[in-house]
Amino acid sequence: MNRLLSSIAALALMAGLGLAQGAGVPDNLEKLSNFQQTGVTEFTFIEQGGDYAAGIKATLEKITMPDGFKIELYAVVPDARHMAVGPQGIVTFVGTRKDKVWAVTDRNKDRIADEVKDFAPSLTFSIPNGPCFSKDGFLYIAEQNRVLLFPAAEFFYESPDVAAFNLVEKGKLIPVEEESFNHTARVCKIGPDGKIYISLGQPFNVAPAEKLDLYNEVGIGGIIRMNVDGSAREVYTYGVRNSVGHDFHPETGELWWTDNQVDGMGDDIPPGEINRQTEAGQHFGAPWYGGGSVRTAEYEGEEVPVEVVMPASETVAHAADLGMSFYTGNMFPEKYRNAIFSAQHGSWNRTTPVGARVMVTFIDDEGTATTEPFAEGWIDENGEYLGRPVDVVNLRDGSILVSDDLAGALYRISYE
Amino acid sequence: MLAGSVAHAELVGDAEAGRKLAGQCRTCHGADGYAQIPVAPHIGGEPVAYLAAQLTAFREGTRQHEMMSVVAKSLTDMQIADLAAWYGGVTAISDLPDGISADAAPSACITCHGADGLSLMQDAPNLAGENVIYIETQLKAFRTGKRRHAAMTDIAKSLTEAEMRAAAEWYAATQLTLTR
Repeated sequence: MNRLLSSIAALALMAGLGLAQGAGVPDNLEKLSNFQQTGVTEFTFIEQGGDYAAGIKATLEKITMPDGFKIELYAVVPDARHMAVGPQGIVTFVGTRKDKVWAVTDRNKDRIADEVKDFAPSLTFSIPNGPCFSKDGFLYIAEQNRVLLFPAAEFFYESPDVAAFNLVEKGKLIPVEEESFNHTARVCKIGPDGKIYISLGQPFNVAPAEKLDLYNEVGIGGIIRMNVDGSAREVYTYGVRNSVGHDFHPETGELWWTDNQVDGMGDDIPPGEINRQTEAGQHFGAPWYGGGSVRTAEYEGEEVPVEVVMPASETVAHAADLGMSFYTGNMFPEKYRNAIFSAQHGSWNRTTPVGARVMVTFIDDEGTATTEPFAEGWIDENGEYLGRPVDVVNLRDGSILVSDDLAGALYRISYE
Repeated sequence: MLAGSVAHAELVGDAEAGRKLAGQCRTCHGADGYAQIPVAPHIGGEPVAYLAAQLTAFREGTRQHEMMSVVAKSLTDMQIADLAAWYGGVTAISDLPDGISADAAPSACITCHGADGLSLMQDAPNLAGENVIYIETQLKAFRTGKRRHAAMTDIAKSLTEAEMRAAAEWYAATQLTLTR
């Protein structure tokens, strides 16, 4: 309760952030920033049982994992993308690449969600893919071109009207004319420095030279960070193609992140990447490199004008490594402590599909990272996807949740 | 209408050949053209000429998309016709949400896209059941010139952000069913 009270007390400080929307834009943000009611009272609830859930459960029987691990359907969540687990363990917020954010509640603590409903139904979202929480219960949601912040979201989400403020107002995350739909699944996390880190994918297969100055200035094709009052925005990471997952090492505090690499160079190159960043401003090679040390055709033969950090771990080409979290729980065997669990969404135009699985990356004492499959079986014998994992997060009991935007589900993986 | 589609007008595609080629489309657009990911539109039941024109535009670079520009680059005119025949051979049905009258449909759109989001002309796509962000993205692409069309460019420029969103929400709320 203390945490809740302190979060609400902090609202007074946040009030100054509630910047008004542009005139004529039908958005309730202004009202919500002033704690007014919007008149929207209807939630959309998602049916959790029935034939649809049964179909997903049948798929999960095909999933293979190391001995002792169990995977279960945790919730039916349409278009489920990146997840943020509330610090009080009450609710998990789930983003989508459409226009909804889902709030998933396990009220009776049987480790299966009881209720899935839309979050803040009076707000108009655009690609609200990336929710993330601060330790003191502020929920942030990174959208296509805005970042909202919701103080005490675990408390307020029970009402259709939640307190909501701009962290980055609409149209200020990137220039409006640079907006796209593809490569616009943003993710965010709060770093050990208390700043918010937000990935900004660039919309091309290979970014053209004439865009690079603008992109470097804004942080498109990069990861930006800023203070949680929106100040001191800077580009933290350069040379990214489209990163859709990052997390901070629990001990070193270093930022690790996945990247999706160039298409159209054949089935087996370039490799996917899991990267380790050791300081601000490092450059990871795009668009001169298409993935790993493979040079892009568009920039072939050109001298690379920057010092490039190569990936910590290379993954199979086109598997689409997306969301990731370091494992911080106590339920799994000791070797998984501080390992990375990450999701491969699966390839979209490789001759034989690869990916659609959960990977684990072990990091040894020298910092060498080794990635191997952990949970797989979402590609059937005809090469058809039965599910496409997107993100992995820790639950407070030491189990992990995996989201799947094809099946529209969250899975819980536990160990006995 | 785009020049490419005129050139193809005489090519009659083979749906069975298109079915085999569609293996490379299904991860995003589904085997019958019901989209599997939000960035991809439903293409089952689209007018054949529209499908052929868009694939040609992606191939020739007059329409650009990070994924489609890669896959369309190597398609022949015949393959485009075959794919258009396969996906165009699907029957699209659209239902308005319960209790909603077609009279409330966005007036700027209905002449070509219908109140229920089913195309009324060869040059226009179905909009039924597309998600809000997909439709909004296309409208903005027409407005900024990233995508061009004789009618859509002007219509998109005449709409406010709120009107674009409202039109997108109208068609996103319709229920698309595809049958073959």
